[in-house]
Order: sequence, then structure tokens, then C-alpha cells
Amino acid sequence: MKAVRAVALTLVLALATLSQTNAQETLRIGAPLPITGALAPEGSKLKQGYELWLDTVNQAGGVKLGDKRLKVELVYYDYQSTTPKAVQLAEKLISGDKVDFLFSPFGSGAAKAVSAIAEKYGVPMLASSASSNEVFDQGYKNLFGLYTDNSSLSEPIADVVKEKLPALKRVAILGRNDLYPLSLGNEFEKSAKKRGLDVVYYEKYPIGTLDHSSALTQLRAANPDWVIVTGYINDLILIRKQAAELKVGGQIYTLINGPAYQEWIDAVGPLAEGVTTASWFHPVLDYKSEDIFGSTRKFVSLFKAKYGSEPDFTQASGAAVGVILQLAIERAGSKDRSAVREQLVRGKFNTFFAPVSFGPTGMANSYLPPVFQIQEGKVQVVYPPEVATGSFRTGLTH
Amino acid sequence: MLWLQVLVNGLALGGLYACIAAGFSLVWGVLNIINILHGSLIVLGGYLAFFAHLQLGISPFLFAPIAGMLLFLPGFAIQRVIISPVMARPVLMTLVLTFGLTLFLDNLMLVAFTADYRKINLQPPLGVLEFGDVVLPLDRLYATGIGLVSVGALWLVLRSTQLGRAIVAVRMDRDAASLMGINVRLTHAIAFGLGTAMAGVAGALLAAIFPISSLSSSGYLGKAFVICVLGGLGSVPGVVLGGFALGVIESYGALAVGPENALTMSFLLLIALLALRPTGLLGRKGFT
Repeated sequence: MKAVRAVALTLVLALATLSQTNAQETLRIGAPLPITGALAPEGSKLKQGYELWLDTVNQAGGVKLGDKRLKVELVYYDYQSTTPKAVQLAEKLISGDKVDFLFSPFGSGAAKAVSAIAEKYGVPMLASSASSNEVFDQGYKNLFGLYTDNSSLSEPIADVVKEKLPALKRVAILGRNDLYPLSLGNEFEKSAKKRGLDVVYYEKYPIGTLDHSSALTQLRAANPDWVIVTGYINDLILIRKQAAELKVGGQIYTLINGPAYQEWIDAVGPLAEGVTTASWFHPVLDYKSEDIFGSTRKFVSLFKAKYGSEPDFTQASGAAVGVILQLAIERAGSKDRSAVREQLVRGKFNTFFAPVSFGPTGMANSYLPPVFQIQEGKVQVVYPPEVATGSFRTGLTH
Repeated sequence: MLWLQVLVNGLALGGLYACIAAGFSLVWGVLNIINILHGSLIVLGGYLAFFAHLQLGISPFLFAPIAGMLLFLPGFAIQRVIISPVMARPVLMTLVLTFGLTLFLDNLMLVAFTADYRKINLQPPLGVLEFGDVVLPLDRLYATGIGLVSVGALWLVLRSTQLGRAIVAVRMDRDAASLMGINVRLTHAIAFGLGTAMAGVAGALLAAIFPISSLSSSGYLGKAFVICVLGGLGSVPGVVLGGFALGVIESYGALAVGPENALTMSFLLLIALLALRPTGLLGRKGFT
């Protein structure tokens, strides 16, 4: 009996040592994700992005550290789209699962909440989808955001509109009453006023509104030249359709975020024509990169092969935080947190997503999100000229 | 002309709103179950209409009655197999049960259909009716019209058929109905089935106008709730009145206090009504 016990004990110890060495040879990244609840669509998109990066890296042998390679392991938890749960899980990932680094939960609000935990434990965290300045105003050293701030979406569009439609005067803004869309609405108001345009209508609609006809009836009465609507894909499908039904006029429509998604174009059909939008990423971009993908085009084709559709900006963001972290670790030559943090601060990552460097607050400031216009059912980049695939069209009848 | 357009906007949704709430009100009135599952069934009806349009090219307006028929049997079965055993328990038990069912169905649809928003694109589009400055989209007019006809059909069934009188009798006094030879268990299951059928009709009609997603059930449920309380529980004319009232209140609310406060206003009105006239505008005991 004793002998059996001794053998069993040895076996257990051996296994434990084995898993210990395994643990040393992997890079563990914690990722709280909204797999269920209101943000489930975004959560599953981020996860697709993470996994494409993960599979590509591991197939290539892992993250390069000198002459050895580290396999990457992602540890997920579902925070059910509730921010307090994301905070708890981040703490569990750091102290329980002993992850080396963190990817943020989705969106600005949850990223801000979790950043306090990352800071407390000194774990560098990459925020995949936070674009509001307020997330980065706490002086944290461990928070790095992939997106440039909201004004970087409104300013380029305002420039294009002002240049191509100099006679345009009246602007109407309808914004979703929610942190990011509202902040974006305010940025558009500022950008319009800065260029001497009159904001003749600015209203907010509540989250989950089904029927926008009252707001649009009022908006129509304000007789705008430029109609700007912020919100998410569902809102923007509804609003574009209802605006057409109610014969809201205007020369140019700017809707964010939605028209860059193929689902949006499919859902509104011909009404997509001429609509402008902006986004941090779109598969029509073509960057050459130093990351594992090599270029935007290669990333897009790998994504298509794996998931059967083109990546949208949320899916791409998931893969982008992966490649940035990988580049930082490879440059640091170790997975030591402060060495990696130093590399992140240093920046200059040429990725398939964009050239990424982080500003003093940790927010990316090295690229300009392109302006897109839907032309004949396809998304075209119309600004900046370096990446443009078409030119901005005016004279559309809405 | 602004106020007239706003009135038309509100009225154009009224019949559809009545249709959303009719099945919910029936189940609540007859079975004394607050059926949280109702919103998810509406979404399921929407998906059926979406795929019928995509694969078979059937217009959602024609498909609405078919969606109703398709959802009757699952509703009947759900009541018989899952809900019936806890019917005698306090209302909170059935509430929790249907809440659980809605989580289950929502997630099932999430897996089956993903959470992408989808929209039926009628080709060619139906267009709009124009009266001077006032426009009325035809798809809304059809949806509201068919919604009203469906609610009217439900009313006729309840009023003039033996089955309908049995349902009303069970609603008024379960024990007395049982003594008169009515099969109460069967009547419950049929009433629940009719409720889910109405959800199917409403879903198909909604899908003609609004995008559908696996996660939009709670919005519809909330509307059904408000309409039932506005119009009065357990009355078909009540849900029609409640539906039009909600449509118009939402519409003018947005104009008066801004769209972001319109919802708050309709709920404030709801609280006021509950305080002053707790039976709703047309509510009374018995489902007539």
C-alpha cells in the first residue's frame, strides 16, 4: 500500500513540476470579455480578433524571446456585460490565474474601471476599444489605448465637408444618450462651430429607441444641410431608414458607428449611398507591417479564411492589441512587465491596423482614423489622401 | 404641420403596438402569468419572417399569419410541459420560470442566428403616402393595419366561439368553469398558444419595419407591459386603446420634452395612471 502511495505521490509531483515548467514557458494574457448580455456581439467580435492573433502566433512557434519561443495562452472570463463583474474578474485573472498582461474589457466605461486594477498590480493593459479621453485622465502608467480620441473622428470629416461643400451652412446632430456616442456628438458640435457652421438641431435619443420618427420630424423641420447621427449599428439602420421615409433632406449624411460594417450596408440597401463615416480601421486599408501578419491585406485574408467574412474594426482591434503586445515583448526580449511597459511607452509599432504609438496619457496619437464614404454599396476611403481609395462625392440626393 | 406629422407618426405605430401587447395581455389575464418570454417569442417571429423573406421571398405582411400558426404549437407545448406543473404556485414562481425560459431562448437564438442586426429589405420598397407636408410610410400603415386585423380576429375568437367563451370563463372563475365541464388544463394551454401566436404575428410585422436581433426582446416586453397597464388588463379593446395611446404619447413626448425624455414621460404617465385608475383605461374583471 505504501509503495502505491509513494508512486502516486511521485507521479503527482512529477506532473506538478511538468505543469510548472509549462507555465514558465507560456505567456499568459487575461481577457475579460462580454460573452453574454448587451455587449455580446462586440464581445464575440473581440474574441475572434484575439484568437486569430493567438492561432497565428502559436502556429509560428510562439512569441520570440531571443532564441527561444513562448507559446501564448489567453485566459477568458465572461463578465456578462456588467462593469463591476469585469473589475472582479480582472483581479482574479491577476492574482488567481497569474496572467502576465491584460487586454481590457470592451468599451470606454469598463476599460476605465478595470484600469485601476491593472495599475494597482502594475500589470500593463492594452485597451482595445476605448476612445473617450476620460478613460485616460487618471495618470495611470499601465494603460495603453489602441484608439485615437473621439475628436480625431469628427475633425477630418468636418475638414472634408467644409472643403468640398463650401456653401454648406446648417448642421443637425442626433446623438445616442450614451457615453461614447454623446461624447462623439459633442465633438461634432465643436468641429462644426469651429468652422463657422450653424448647429440648428442637437438632440439626444435614449438607448434602445425603436421609433425615431418624432426626433426626425423635428430634425427635418430644422432644414439641415448636413445630418450627423451617432449611435450603434441598430440605431443607425433604423434612423437611416426612417429618415428616408420621412423625407428628411440634407446634402450629406454622417453616421458613426455603423456604415463601415457590411451588415449596415446590407440592412439599408440603396440608402447607404453617399453616407460618410469614420473608423479606426477598415479592411480596405493597406498598411505594410512588421507584425506577424505582415500587412493589412494578409490579415484580412487570414481572417476571411478563418471566419468567412471581412473583419470589421472591432474584430481587427482584438488582433491589433495582440500584435502590439507581441512586438513590445519581442523588443524587450523578456516578458518582464516593466521592460515591456518601457517598450510600449517607446511605441512606433507598425501594425496591420495602423502605425501605433501612445501619447503621454497612454492613448494612441500616431494615426488619423480614415474617413469613409459608401459608393455603389462599397466602402471607399476618401481621406487622408495617403490611404484614399476613391474621392469624396457630393451632389447626392437624400 | 409639425404636430400633424407627429400625430400620424404615433398613430402609424398604434395597431402594431396593440398587436405586441394582445398576446401578453391574454396570457396575463387568463392564466395569471406575467409571461416574460413574450418578448423573445416576438423576436423569434421576426426571425421566421426574416428567413421566409430571404429564402422563399415571402413578404413579411403575408407571412404574419403563418408566423402566428407556426408559433401556436410550441406555445401550447411550453405551457403543457413546462409551465403547467407550477401553475398553482404563486405568481412569482411562474415569473421566474418564464424569465428563465427567456434567457434560454435568447441565448439559443444568439447561437443559431448570432447577434448581428438584420433587416428585411422589401424590393421594391413600398414607398410613402404624401398629404402635402405630411408623409405616412406604407410599410407602417400595412403593419399597423394587419396588427389591428389580427387583434380583431383574436377578439372575435374570444367573443363568438365556444373555445373563446371557455377561455373567458376560465379567466372569470376557474373552479366554476371546471364544474361546467370545461377542461381547464387544455384551455390554459390553448390560451398560452394563442398568446405565442400573437407574438409571432407581431414579430413578423415588426421585422418588416425594424431590424431584428437576438437581444432585442426586453424592449418589446417593456412596451407590452406599458400598453397592458395603460389600456387595462384582460381587455382586447383595452390593448388597442393602450397601443394607440402609447404611440401618440411617445410621439408627442419626444416633441415636447426631447426624444431622450420621451420614455421617461410615458412611464411617468403610467405611474400617474396606476395611482389614479389602477384598472387602466378600459380594464375590468374578465376577458371580454
